[in-house]
This record gives sequence, C-alpha cells and structure tokens, in this order.
Amino acid sequence: MKTNLLKRASGLLGGATLMLSSSLILAAPPVQEIIENANQASYYAGQDGRSEARMRIEDDSGRTQTRQFTVLRKNVEGSDQQKYLVVFSRPSEYRDTVFLVHKDPQSADDRWLYLPDLDLVRRIAPGDKRTSFVGAHVYYEDISGRNLNEDNHSLAEETDEYYVLESTPKNPDSVEFASFRTWIDKETWLPMRIEYTNPEGEVYRIMENARVEVIDGYPTPTMMRVQDKVSGGTTLVQFRGINYDLGIPDSVFTERSLRNPPSEWLERR
Amino acid sequence: MGKKLAIWCMNRTRTVFTAVIVMVLALGMLIPNITIDTDPENMLSDDQPDRVRHNEIRERFGLHDMIVVGQVNTENEDGVFNPESLSAHYRLTRALEKMDGVIARDIMSMAAVDNVEQVGVGTIAYDWLIPKPPESQEEADRIRQAVEDLPMYQGTLVSEDGKAAAIFVPLESKDISHRIAGEIQAVVDELDTADEFHITGQPVAQDTFGVEMFQQMAISAPLAGLVIFLTMLYFFRSLPLVVAPMLLAMATVISTMGLLIGMGFTVHIMSSMIPIFLMPIAVVASVHVLSNFADRYRPGDDPKAVMGEVMEKLFKPILFTGLTTAVGFLSLLTTPIPPVQVFGGFISFGVVIALLLTLGFIPAYTVALKQSTLDKMAEKFRQKEEADEKANQGGGLLGKMGRFPTHKPGLVIGSVAVIMAISVYGITQIQINDNPTLWFKEDHRIRVADRVLNERFAGTYEAYIHLTQTGIDQEVEEMRRQVQNTLDEAEQAGFDLREDWQKMWEESAGASSPGDRLETLAMQIDDHLFEVDFDQADYWEKILDQVEKARSATRAFQNPEHLAWMDDLKNHLEEAGVIGKANSLADLVKTINRELISGDPEDYELPDSANGVAQTLLSFQSSQRPDDLWNFVTRDFTEANIWLQLPSGDNQVMSQVIAEVDAFMQDNPPPQGVELDWAGGTYINLVWQGEMVEGMLWALISAFVVVLVMMIALFRSLLLGVLAMLPLTITIAFIYGAMGLIGKDYDMPVAVLSSLSLGLSVDFAIHFIQRLRMALEDAAGDWKEAMERVFEAPSRAIVRNAVVIAIGFLPLLAAPLVPYITVGVFLASIMATSALVTLFVLPAFIALSPRAFLGKTVIKA
Repeated sequence: MKTNLLKRASGLLGGATLMLSSSLILAAPPVQEIIENANQASYYAGQDGRSEARMRIEDDSGRTQTRQFTVLRKNVEGSDQQKYLVVFSRPSEYRDTVFLVHKDPQSADDRWLYLPDLDLVRRIAPGDKRTSFVGAHVYYEDISGRNLNEDNHSLAEETDEYYVLESTPKNPDSVEFASFRTWIDKETWLPMRIEYTNPEGEVYRIMENARVEVIDGYPTPTMMRVQDKVSGGTTLVQFRGINYDLGIPDSVFTERSLRNPPSEWLERR
Repeated sequence: MGKKLAIWCMNRTRTVFTAVIVMVLALGMLIPNITIDTDPENMLSDDQPDRVRHNEIRERFGLHDMIVVGQVNTENEDGVFNPESLSAHYRLTRALEKMDGVIARDIMSMAAVDNVEQVGVGTIAYDWLIPKPPESQEEADRIRQAVEDLPMYQGTLVSEDGKAAAIFVPLESKDISHRIAGEIQAVVDELDTADEFHITGQPVAQDTFGVEMFQQMAISAPLAGLVIFLTMLYFFRSLPLVVAPMLLAMATVISTMGLLIGMGFTVHIMSSMIPIFLMPIAVVASVHVLSNFADRYRPGDDPKAVMGEVMEKLFKPILFTGLTTAVGFLSLLTTPIPPVQVFGGFISFGVVIALLLTLGFIPAYTVALKQSTLDKMAEKFRQKEEADEKANQGGGLLGKMGRFPTHKPGLVIGSVAVIMAISVYGITQIQINDNPTLWFKEDHRIRVADRVLNERFAGTYEAYIHLTQTGIDQEVEEMRRQVQNTLDEAEQAGFDLREDWQKMWEESAGASSPGDRLETLAMQIDDHLFEVDFDQADYWEKILDQVEKARSATRAFQNPEHLAWMDDLKNHLEEAGVIGKANSLADLVKTINRELISGDPEDYELPDSANGVAQTLLSFQSSQRPDDLWNFVTRDFTEANIWLQLPSGDNQVMSQVIAEVDAFMQDNPPPQGVELDWAGGTYINLVWQGEMVEGMLWALISAFVVVLVMMIALFRSLLLGVLAMLPLTITIAFIYGAMGLIGKDYDMPVAVLSSLSLGLSVDFAIHFIQRLRMALEDAAGDWKEAMERVFEAPSRAIVRNAVVIAIGFLPLLAAPLVPYITVGVFLASIMATSALVTLFVLPAFIALSPRAFLGKTVIKA
C-alpha cells in the first residue's frame, strides 16, 4: 500500500501542482479516501507533459525579479519515480541554464545544474530541500515534492467545497514549520490552498492555486501564488503552453540534455 | 527703571509669589511627559541630505541597526571551536531568533548562515554551517575548517585566531535595544559554558547612554544645587539670604525643563545638561542683589527703600550680564544641529526667567521677610565682610593682585602676548575627533566589550560605500532609437508594427525599475511572437534583441569589470590599514564561483562574463539565505553596497577611510558612470561632527560680535567695549590652546562650550568695569585710588561669583558619562581663568592709558 500511496504527483505539470499533490496523504479511512481520489486526479493526468512557467518574484517594496523556464516531466513507469528537466529562457542572463532532477521518494533525489556561461555541470548535494528555488518564494521541495511519509495527516474539517487536512511533521527539527493545512477541492481533488504555521502558531507562508483550467481533460492549475508573510514577499507563477502525453523519450532526461537542451520538446506546440 | 519695577513688586508680594508658583506648577506638571533621545543620528535634522541619503540606502539594502554579541574563549586551544562553545553559540542563536523585535532571517551568526562548498567532485552543497550542536571535537574542527574557507565570515563572524565568535543581531527598531540586550544577557547567563560574552553595538550604547543620562540628571543636578548652596552659605553666613537664590534657581530649572518637555522636545544629551547650567547662572545675579542689600541695610531701615536703591544701582549690570549670557546661548541657534539649538534656546529662556525673577521675585521675597530676620541677616553679613576685610588688610591677595598690573602693565601685557602666541599654536594643533562609544568611561562594560571585540574582529563599527550606475535612462533612450530604426525598416517592408510596439511600451510603464521595464517588454514581445506572421517575426526578434541588450546593459553590477573595481577598492582599503575589512558582492561572487569550479584557492576569482556572474548568483539564490544578496546589490543591479567594518568609531578613522577612497578614485577611476556616496552610523557621526565644528565657529563669531556691540552700548565707549571682551577672548584662546597642546580631542561637548562660556565669562568684565567707573566717581577721578577700591568689596564679589559658578559645575565630575565630565572640567576652568584674567589683565590695559579707557574725568597723575 505504501508504494501505491507514495506513487504520486505524476499527473500534473510544473512545480506547483506537484507540491500541492504532495500534501495529499492518507491515514485513517476518510482521509485515505480523500487522498486516493486526489491522487487519482493528480497522478494519472498523463504519462508525461510540458509546461512553460513564468515566475514573478516580488519583495515587500514591490521590487521584482522574473524567471521564465520550460518544464518537461516524465513518470517512471511502474514506480513512484519521476524525472524533470527545467530549462531557463528568460531573463537572457539565465538562458539555457538547466536543472535536471531524478526524483526518487524511496531514497534521495539526484539533482544536476548546468551553468552555460561558466560551462559547468554540477551535481547539487542532497541537502535541505526547503530552500529557495532560484530566489523565488517557492522551495525546491515544492517543485520536487515532499515525501508524504514525513508528516502525519488528519482530516481537520469538511466544508461544502473542501476537505481540509492538517499535517504535522514527524521530525519537527527537520523543517521550519510546525504544521500545515491543505484545502482540497471536492470536485477536482486539487489542493487549492496550503497554509504553513510556525511554532508560535502564526501562519507565515501561504500557497494557493489562483486559477485552474481543464487541459486535455485534466484539471490543471495555471496560476499559483506563494506568499511569505515573514519577508512580505510574493511569488506568482503562471503556467502556459501545457500539454500532456507527448511521448517524451527517456533520453531527454539525461545529463546530455544539460549542455544540449532538447529544443524539439521545449518548443511550444 | 529697576527701582520702579522693584517697588511695584514689593507692593504686591502676594501677586508675585502666586504668579511664580503658578508658573512653576503649570510648567512643572509637564515634566513627567519626558522622552529621552539618545540617537546620534538626531544630531542632524530630519531633512539633512546625508541623513536622508543614509536612510534611503539602508532602506534599499535592508540594512538594520545591529547589536553585536561577542563570545570569547581563550582557555581552550581551539578557541570557540570546541563542542561546548559551539553548542552554546548554536543555542544562543536559536534563542535570538525567537526574540520579539529581532529580525530573525537577517541574523549573522555561524549558526545561522550557509556553508557553500564542494562535497565531492563536481558536487556543490549549500548547507547550514552549524546544522546542529556539534557533539565531538571532529565536528567542531570541520566547522572551523569550513568557516576558514569563507572569506566573508573570517574576521566578521569568527576572529582570525578562532578564539572568538560574533553574532550580529539586526533589530526592527533601535528603541528596543536595551530590552533585547537584557534578554540576550539573560539567555547568556543560562548558557552552560565558561566562555566570556560581550554585548555591544551602537544601539546598545545609545540606550545605555539614555539610562545613565537620567542618572546624571538625578545625581549631578541636585548635587550641583547642594554644592552651590553650601558655598554660598560659607560666603554669606545667612540662611534666609541664601535660600532666596536657591528658590529662584529651582523655579528657573523646573519652568525651563517643563516648557521644553511640554513643547514636545525630546531630552537629548545636550538638553539633559540644562539644569546644571541654569543653576549657577540663575544664582549669581541674585547674590549681587542680596549682598548689596545686606551691605546697605541697617536695623530699622525701611527694607523697601533700601531695596529700591539697590535695584536702581544694579539694574543695568544685572540686565546686561543676563542678556549677554542669553545671547551667548542663543548663538547656538545658528548651528545646524537640532539638539544644540534646543539646548541654546531653552537655556536662554531660563536665563531670561532668572533675570525677571531677580528683578521681581527677590525684592518681593526680601520685604516679605520679618524685620528681625532682615536685621540678623544684615548683621551676620557685615560681620563676615569685616572679618574678610581685616584678613585682607594692607594688601591681601586681592589688593596685591590689583596693584601689580597697574605698576607693571608692560610685563603683564607682554606675558599675555606670549601666552596668546603659545595658545594660537596650541589651537592649530587641535584634533577634531569624536566617538560616541568614548562617551562612556574606560571601565564601562560597553567600553570593555568594544575593546575586546575590536581587538579580535575586523570591527564592530559600520560604514557603507554606496555605488550607483548612472546613465540608465540614456541607455533606454538609445534602445528606443534603435527600435525606431527597426520599426522604420519594417515599415519599408510593408509591416506596421508601431501600434503594437507603442502598446507594449505603455503597458510596461508600471515596472519598478528601467531594467524591470525592459524585461517586462521583452516578455511581451516574446508572447507576441507566437501571434504574429512569420514575416513580421524577423523584425520582432530584432527588436527583442535590442531590448534584451539594453536590459543587460542596465545591470551594471553584474559586469566583472564593476565587481573587479569594487574588489580593488576593498583591497586598497584593507592594505592601507584604514579599515578592518570590507565585504562586497565581489567577495560573494568569488566564493560561489570557487566552490562551483573546484573549491581550490586558485579559483577564487570573478567569472569572465556578466552572464557568468548572473549564473553564479542564481546558484547562490538556491541557498538557505538567498536574500542576503540584496544587502550587497539592488535587484536591478544598478546599485551596489560595500560593507566596511571599522575597528574604531573615531571620526578621524572615518575621515581617513574617506580620504583613502578619494585617493584610490583619483588613480583608479570607477567604471564609466558609477557614482559613489556614503552611509552608515560612523559616517553620519562624521557628518554631524563636521557641521558641529563649522556651526560652532559661526556661533562663536556671531555671539562675539553681538556681545561686543552690547558692551559698546552698555559702556557707551568703543574702547571699553573692546576691553570688556578681552578677558574672555584670552581665556577661550588659552583653554583651547591648552587643549590642543595636551592632545584632548575637540569633540561635541568641547565644541559647544566655546560660545556659551563667552556669554558667561563676560559678566566678570561688566561688573569690574562698571564698579571701576562708579569708584572713579567716588574717588573724584583718581584712577589708582578707584582701582584700590575696586579691589576691595567688588572684586571679592567677582571672585565669589566665579567660585560659586565654577564649583556649581564641578558635580558634573561625578557623572557616569564622559561628556558631562568634560563639560564640568572645562566650564569650571573657564570660569576660574576668566575671573583671574579679568582681575589681572584689565587693570594692566587700563594702566596703559587710563584717560583713553575711562574718559576725561581721570586726573592726570
């Protein structure tokens, strides 16, 4: 059952949805049912996909940075593993910077980084994953997914629209939050809002899906917002050019693609 | 005039007393609203350009006021790099993060920063430097090794010898620093370690200063009152006679402070000295009145009539001594330093109150006393006078003193000339310097912490070099011209792209910076490319290139050339030894670049290209503290900030740094269009110090001119007016010359003293000359005889007043803070010296040409 449950985040595209689905966990039957349905909505959205993401990182004074990149994703058949290729296109100083991630919830992820103007391929050590992804308020873990087994989950509330899950970390020293709450849409099974609470009991970080569209038959988040209440900053991520089930070959997700991005799959179709 | 006023008041004693009591109560009631202000920044007005700039820069780069906590272990051979010390360091850091008002995410501590390193070939890691309290010496060694590889932290978070670690604790506001420092101390006390801990930093110093300022006011001011009271009791031997001036002084001090606080002014280091200044000043005039009264009054006389006569005679000197003192303090209004202005303004107010009370309250008080009390008072006073006269008979000290200069005027004037020459030399040697930390005594814990930490670290004093790339707008304009050309080309080919371009240009207008606008524009064009025909796309792509190129050009501090220049500047300053250390974007980029490439020292260098720099920083932005980047550069990369650590808060050190930077700029001009300015507390201190010196010079000159004009008006003689200014001129030159020679720094309190001592010390000359003229009338024009008479009772009065006022300032020596002590010592010596000079030098000059000074009534000898 464990493997089955952990097999996750395969359906949707982009870091946002992956993160969101990661909070869908089961324990007792009612919770388990919610999560299974949510998994259904999330996992089986396709075997692979592409999406163009545009992040607008804004600080408390309205000063902004932008990042634009294309994400390719492929599920590894018959397991809960996934592969990602993230290729930056804008601003021009980051063009062709590439992240490659081989995610394995059963052990540590493998991560590579290619910096074109230094012509360096570097592995990123498996360290703390709750650190900023390229300066945004989105964490690495939000992109590659938090291991479901790291938290205890329970159904906190049920409303007309949502199931509200409460999750607490099994190892509180490993994370900066004390708990988080997830609002799961009863209709689409997508997590629409997650609130992170610090040990003082204050909500200090909020992630929300601000827009969901049905693409190729899959309900897909196309706009996501992360608010950091501590610094007052916000990151808004928009997704476009989303396609599912493209038949992206495994060879795209190899180190070769770091220096030679697969333009065939990166281009909008 | 004086008589009329005095008689009016003496006929309405009840009204006078009620008025005084109402004034004191009404204004005194405002005192509990007191707010203390110890921020040296407030030495500059809110809109002073350097201060405005300083705050803009701090805001832009997220720089906060910081408490510095130092941890020292000299016992262990590994210093603080042992499990116990590092665990304490870790626990302290975690406790700091939880304190209300501490900006947790910006704390700089080994237990709160990242370690970037290669952890195996081709693998880069960003991990907490101390992820958890180390349990073994091996782990502690690993931390030491890691931190020694991080140049940004060496000398900043850990001392070069590893014996000490520092934590920089940023605060939301500096008002809370006293509370936070207390909370830190409480945590430190609970830590299970033998390490020494020191808490310092400008905000702590300021708050502590505020606390001790209260102590000063609570101790020194009442002590001054007591000392003055006892001194006067010794001189006059009559309690009722001495009580009146004391009541007057209290009424003056309470009213003045009440008004100051009631008008919403904060009590700053300067204004906290108002009570102690006002007390002796308020007392002296009334002493003249009462001793004169006691001298004339005989048992059975009508007190009103006697007082009326006294006031008639003393009205002019009292009025003028009061007004000159007020002018001396009022001149401080010409300085550009708000606390000094408040100080000068309100002391002037107090002096005027004291003047009015002397003219009205003292007569009313005197006649309200019982006849028998007055009889006794006059009796005792005369006994003491007679005893004094007997002691001085046939040439007491004063008498001898009076005769010597009249006999040998050349010798006296010659020596004065020599002393003046030496003094002028001494003045040229004056070192202008201040340092708010040195306002504490040497053994104060803040001074100790300051000494220990600045010995071990690169420095706890901060200044910031702020660099701005100018010409960004021209860059954008140039791009628009190029785009117009492209649009023209498209038009010739039959495509009208102008409307779309114009729309995008306008839509991008809301961006937060020009660079951001160009990026927005580039994205719009990028989006647009999906919609346009294949033929048009060529032109749009060309425009996109032009926009992107312009955008890259705006990001000046991504250029390796810019970073290299900053690095050269840093190296120059460090090699010149004027700073402890500098941290800039260049250090950050070089460190990350080294770890990306190999981790070896030879790769500690800047990438070759701007994109290389950008990608290095993109990697850094995936660390635990990505926002640290914005302390060094703005998000649009048009401004950069170099953090200088100075081992001393001396203004002179800051001046040297500025001079070194200017010299470096001469030989190594910055990249085209880059402009440099300054921020940081140490720099701000230098600015107000500069304004103080200039402002005080101006205040001194203006006070001098006004008092001179008043003297000429009072004596109706140009020559006597100039003569009256002579003693204080000599005194001020002498005191400041001596200060230059012994090497005492010219700092804030010293600067303020010059112009205000002018208003005080001229009083002696006024009394001396006025009495001499009166004596000349009595002596029928025999000036030598007149001089003899002046050196009896009047000179005694002058000497007494000098002693009262000088002793009145001495309790400042008991103050816990150095500026107060400085003020006490200097004012006491200025008062004493100028009284002596008055009695010694004035007779000598008059002896040179009595007729010229004293007029035609002088009989030729």
